[in-house]
Amino acid sequence: MEQFSPVKRSKDGQPVRYLVVDDSVFARKNLARMIETFGGQLAGEAGDGMTAITEYERTHPDIVLMDITMPQMEGIEAAEKIVRQHPEARIVMVSSVGYQENIVAALQRGARHFVQKPVKPEVLYEVIKYVLGEDGTVAAGAGA
Amino acid sequence: MTQFSDERGAELRELFFETAQELLQSLNEEALKLEKHPGDAEIVRSIRRTVHTLKGDAAACGYRELSESAHELEDALAVETASSHTGLAEVAFTAADIFGSMLNAYRRRAKLPSAEPLRKMIQQLGKASSSEKGGKKKAAKTSAAKAEWTEYEKLEIQNALKQGKRVYHIKAEIDPRCAMPIAARQLLLNAVGAVGQVVAVRPETDSPANTDRLELLLASPLSMEKVTAKCRIPTVIARAGVEPIKGKVSKKSAASENKPKEPNGISSEPIPKNTFTSAAEEYESRENLHLGAVAENILRVDAERIDNVLNLVGELIIGKSMLQQAFQELTKHSPKESMRGRVADAMAFQSRVLNDLQRSVMKIRMVPVEQLFRRFPRMVRDVAKQGGKEVDLIISGQDTDLDKSLLDAIAEPLTHLVRNAVGHGIENAAERARLGKPTRGTIRLDAYHQGNQVIVEIKDDGSGIDSQKVKSKALEKKIVSVDEAERLSEANIIALVFRPGFSTADEITELAGRGVGLDVVQSVLHRLKGTVEIETHPGQGTTFRLKLPLTLAIIKALLFRVEGRLYAIPLNAVAEIARAKESDLHQVDNYEVLQLRNQVLPLVRLGRPSAQPAQAAGKIFVLVITVSESKLGLIVEALEGEEELVIKALDDQTVSTDLVSGASILGDGRVVLILNLPAIVERYANSRPGQIGAVASGILLSHADRSQTHRPVVEAQP
Repeated sequence: MEQFSPVKRSKDGQPVRYLVVDDSVFARKNLARMIETFGGQLAGEAGDGMTAITEYERTHPDIVLMDITMPQMEGIEAAEKIVRQHPEARIVMVSSVGYQENIVAALQRGARHFVQKPVKPEVLYEVIKYVLGEDGTVAAGAGA
Repeated sequence: MTQFSDERGAELRELFFETAQELLQSLNEEALKLEKHPGDAEIVRSIRRTVHTLKGDAAACGYRELSESAHELEDALAVETASSHTGLAEVAFTAADIFGSMLNAYRRRAKLPSAEPLRKMIQQLGKASSSEKGGKKKAAKTSAAKAEWTEYEKLEIQNALKQGKRVYHIKAEIDPRCAMPIAARQLLLNAVGAVGQVVAVRPETDSPANTDRLELLLASPLSMEKVTAKCRIPTVIARAGVEPIKGKVSKKSAASENKPKEPNGISSEPIPKNTFTSAAEEYESRENLHLGAVAENILRVDAERIDNVLNLVGELIIGKSMLQQAFQELTKHSPKESMRGRVADAMAFQSRVLNDLQRSVMKIRMVPVEQLFRRFPRMVRDVAKQGGKEVDLIISGQDTDLDKSLLDAIAEPLTHLVRNAVGHGIENAAERARLGKPTRGTIRLDAYHQGNQVIVEIKDDGSGIDSQKVKSKALEKKIVSVDEAERLSEANIIALVFRPGFSTADEITELAGRGVGLDVVQSVLHRLKGTVEIETHPGQGTTFRLKLPLTLAIIKALLFRVEGRLYAIPLNAVAEIARAKESDLHQVDNYEVLQLRNQVLPLVRLGRPSAQPAQAAGKIFVLVITVSESKLGLIVEALEGEEELVIKALDDQTVSTDLVSGASILGDGRVVLILNLPAIVERYANSRPGQIGAVASGILLSHADRSQTHRPVVEAQP
């Protein structure tokens, strides 16, 4: 995998904390790997929308990576609920092309961005930098 | 792209295979449900979700063919009319099979199977609704955006300018790598909507555009540079140009009302709001939240690591008995030592914690038998369909825990038994009707704990096993001789079906009757220190009962001596210990027996019969053991006590007999052999003694033992 310069939080220089939501363990692991290469930190995981909400409340991550189709509560709904409670939440929808309409709906409900499955690390990296905006800084060099 | 090549990739792939297997399992289960409730939209949705996840995972792993096949199926399922299609369950079954063989091919890097049969079925599905779908696609073709503002929009521009805002004409090009232009468009609207008011968008909202270009009018108080920066959205917008629209610019910026979430008038809501919010509230009950959290709290651990821990616990238990032995010696040595009480307390505490530790570690290895049971509904359905039978499968006790390695080991035997039950046990519907039974046969699969064992039962209400048929077959195949057959009890005749080379099925069907036979079932169970029993009632059905130990690693054992050597047998097999004089023993047909209360107990002499002629009047110990219904007495010389043994497996090179199933080390460093009781019973049942007391006598002695060495056969531990 390519090397990425680590992205840190501007306010304290700490690793960016992520909440990964997907009903596929595999997908979660995959995303977690990428996050690692971005110098980020996995704050929590969830396999359905409901858990995503509780995990958000518990961990207050900097970024949420949210799948669209999940059992119990779909990603859009979870995203909407989180944003309603925490307007500052940065939620990035992760889904395949076939669910474009759902992504649009999620974007209308406060999601900040989306990436397409299968997720390419270089794309996710750009999206993360964009979503963090001024709250994230790219550290020079590849130090941890 | 995302295909990893390093070891991390290998690990991920392993995870993928594991989860994919689970997905296929759910697919099968959902298909079964759908077969029962055809047209249930909720089930179809859930099938679609499963297929979708599989598609995504496969794509991320770089398994393109699987991903594409899954994608086709997912698309087909999305069509409204598909859900009411009657053949949908069949399609899902086929899909599960084909995906499964694709997975296998990927794993073994073999040639991929053709997905053609599935594709054909999917096309069939799609036919009903193809016209509708085609129409939709054509409508999607829209010409590139053209900035023609309507009168209303022009008015809006004027208004905004009058309010002192700046109005920008934004031309954005959607990144060609972004496959979701509509989402891209929405994202751009979000971005600029956060800093102003979107007055107009081209292409218009309701055209589900295939377009790669966007134009919009934005009223915003911000400078052109800032708006331009807002339009730079990585991975989505390739290029964006911003031009101010001419008009008077006043300094009254207070009028800028930022309503980011509500893009004004014309531009709002490109997609009608659907049901996403409606179901929201009902989910908020606490239980559900809790359930979700529990389901997440699962750790996947390599089985090897747990085995390591279990092994260490085993060593600790040996350490414990070392300590106990040392303590006993100390007590003997200096009975007045005042510290003894404190040491004893500490040891008692340690041993209690050790017990808990052992139990907890063993619990880690335990998995519910459901993992195995869940594959059967599909299988029973297939076998029944093939044989033209109607069979219901009733599963209970699926929460019963069983050691994972045991579960894996009984998978094949159990599969065989279930197949047999459907294929040979249950009669076809016409036959059943003739016999006055319900036309649908029933197979019950049950698992439960009994003492130190786990019992797995397969019960059918079929024809049962005809002992006469078994007998004639056994004679025909020369498994038993004529006079032997005459002497066998009913139960013993039935047990002949476990002999190698036996098969009562009149015809061999494709599914049952091939592969492992009942003899393999039995040998697997014996290897696991378990047993298999048959209970059959002609005309009413047959029950196979697999009895398994809770764990393979640690047993409570009874230690005894034969010919001066130390042996052990599992304590739970010992029914009682009797004392007898040599003169109490009787001979029947060259078998030695003992009259115990009002029962005649066949005996097995583990040592040499001639070894103690002088002690003919002396007392001997008889261990009464029960192994799968049969009772036997083992003649041993001395008892040594009971102890917890940590079983160390012996490889075939160390021990050439199947009569020994393992070895263990005692606290004082001595090695003890653990006898394999089912094998001994089997040896006894098959033996035809030529002389008195010759049954299995000295079976534990190898020819090297004749010299009276004092070390056991397996002193060299690997």
